[in-house]
Amino acid sequence: MPEVASSGSEPTRDVWPTKGPKAKPAGLLITFGIALALIVGVGALFYGETYRSPSGTEVAKSVGTATVNGVTVPHVTLHFQTYPDSTGIVNGVPIHPSGNSGWPAYGLTNSYQVPAHALVTVYVRQYDSGGSLNNPWFATVRGTIDGTAIVDGKVVKSISPNDVGHTFTVRATPGTDPGFFLSVPLPAVDGDNQTDNGKYHTVVFSFVSGSKGLYAWNCEFPCGEMLASFGGPMSAYGFMSGFINVA
Amino acid sequence: MIWLVLTVAGGIMGVVAPHHLLTSLLSNDGTDVWKTMVFFTVLAAPVAAFVYSVAIYSLIGWRHRGNQDEPPEDGPPIRGNGFVTGVWLITSTVLVIVLLVWGLSVWSAQQVSHPDTLQVEVTGQQWLWTFKYPGTGVESRELVLPVNRPIEFDVSSVDVTHGFWPAALGVQVDANPNVVTVIRTTPDRVGKFTVRCSQLCGLYHSFMYAPGSVVTSDQFATWLQSQGATSSAADKEAQVSQS
Repeated sequence: MPEVASSGSEPTRDVWPTKGPKAKPAGLLITFGIALALIVGVGALFYGETYRSPSGTEVAKSVGTATVNGVTVPHVTLHFQTYPDSTGIVNGVPIHPSGNSGWPAYGLTNSYQVPAHALVTVYVRQYDSGGSLNNPWFATVRGTIDGTAIVDGKVVKSISPNDVGHTFTVRATPGTDPGFFLSVPLPAVDGDNQTDNGKYHTVVFSFVSGSKGLYAWNCEFPCGEMLASFGGPMSAYGFMSGFINVA
Repeated sequence: MIWLVLTVAGGIMGVVAPHHLLTSLLSNDGTDVWKTMVFFTVLAAPVAAFVYSVAIYSLIGWRHRGNQDEPPEDGPPIRGNGFVTGVWLITSTVLVIVLLVWGLSVWSAQQVSHPDTLQVEVTGQQWLWTFKYPGTGVESRELVLPVNRPIEFDVSSVDVTHGFWPAALGVQVDANPNVVTVIRTTPDRVGKFTVRCSQLCGLYHSFMYAPGSVVTSDQFATWLQSQGATSSAADKEAQVSQS
């Protein structure tokens, strides 16, 4: 602060300081460095926590090779389930380590790994109830071999858009195959069932994986809370969304 | 001199920078956006240069020097200077009117509906775009458009607000739930582009993009058929595109 000089009743004015504290370049650098480290650290923590897989990664199991369009490729299988309540426990394992009551979830993990350019056969057990899609477009099977899926032993190309439990919808992310897209509707069951003791639908489908990279999947059935039913489990990573690592 | 240098630098930047910053443009509206950006930047350059030159001159010319005991005296006030006020007022008014007329003329040109317009219903949902071509039975996650044919996008959302933004086409509009917003453009060259979401819409907003392409009318008809359109519907669309 400039010092104020007083001289009786005369108007006063600031006296310009001839010497003041000089900014130290090293101090400035340290200050900026600490601020930058804080920003990066908090950002990394937030990112890591947001996209942390709750229960590790399910690696596809090799079952040999298959011929697709005259080309022999590795053949792998993936198994997962969709549960109506993420707080449940299946065979002693929590469906979601930090589940919320009433929130559905894919289980027992939301993170999968498959080889590149391989035939991937997926087995899904769908235990959840459902309703109508926001967009009937997602009631059609897309991106699988022949554009079909097998629901309870029956080959289908689509299901009723008013009887959908969830969808398994995979899209490319930057740096992966931009044309890759997969979407399979999973029919709803009557009432919510949490284990093999209850009712479920078995859905089987196969697709050819793209090139290496991280692909994102999510559910397109509005099974969440709040606005448009896309809050809660639909907006919190790890319940109705995840990644497929094509390695 | 500072003002002159900054004005010239700003003008050059306004002309050159868009070539490096903007995506490849595939429509007349994209070209209009380009011209508008260049025109506005060039017009704004002398104004911005004036502000910066006064600031730079003041910082350098009136800075505190170590051997001074007191700060320099203030310059004469310009309050009440009719000439300066008049020049500033007239210049600002002319610039704003020019920009308004230019902007309105570009905007009004986009509002014209043509009889052979191709209608595309754009639906945003977390976190995908889908595009429906009425009359053909085709709905796709890929936006394919015939070249040189006016397009009307009927944009809506089934959940939250998204932003329909095919940047290469020079148009952008919000996709609001339960509201259909119309926006038009005419692709005028063949090429590929990406449709992005310009509204932060949730967990996978950053992955909400769709592939797009502008193709010839024959390629468009072929693509429609590959998506399940009847051959008559595809042929009809092709004939409209060629006429």
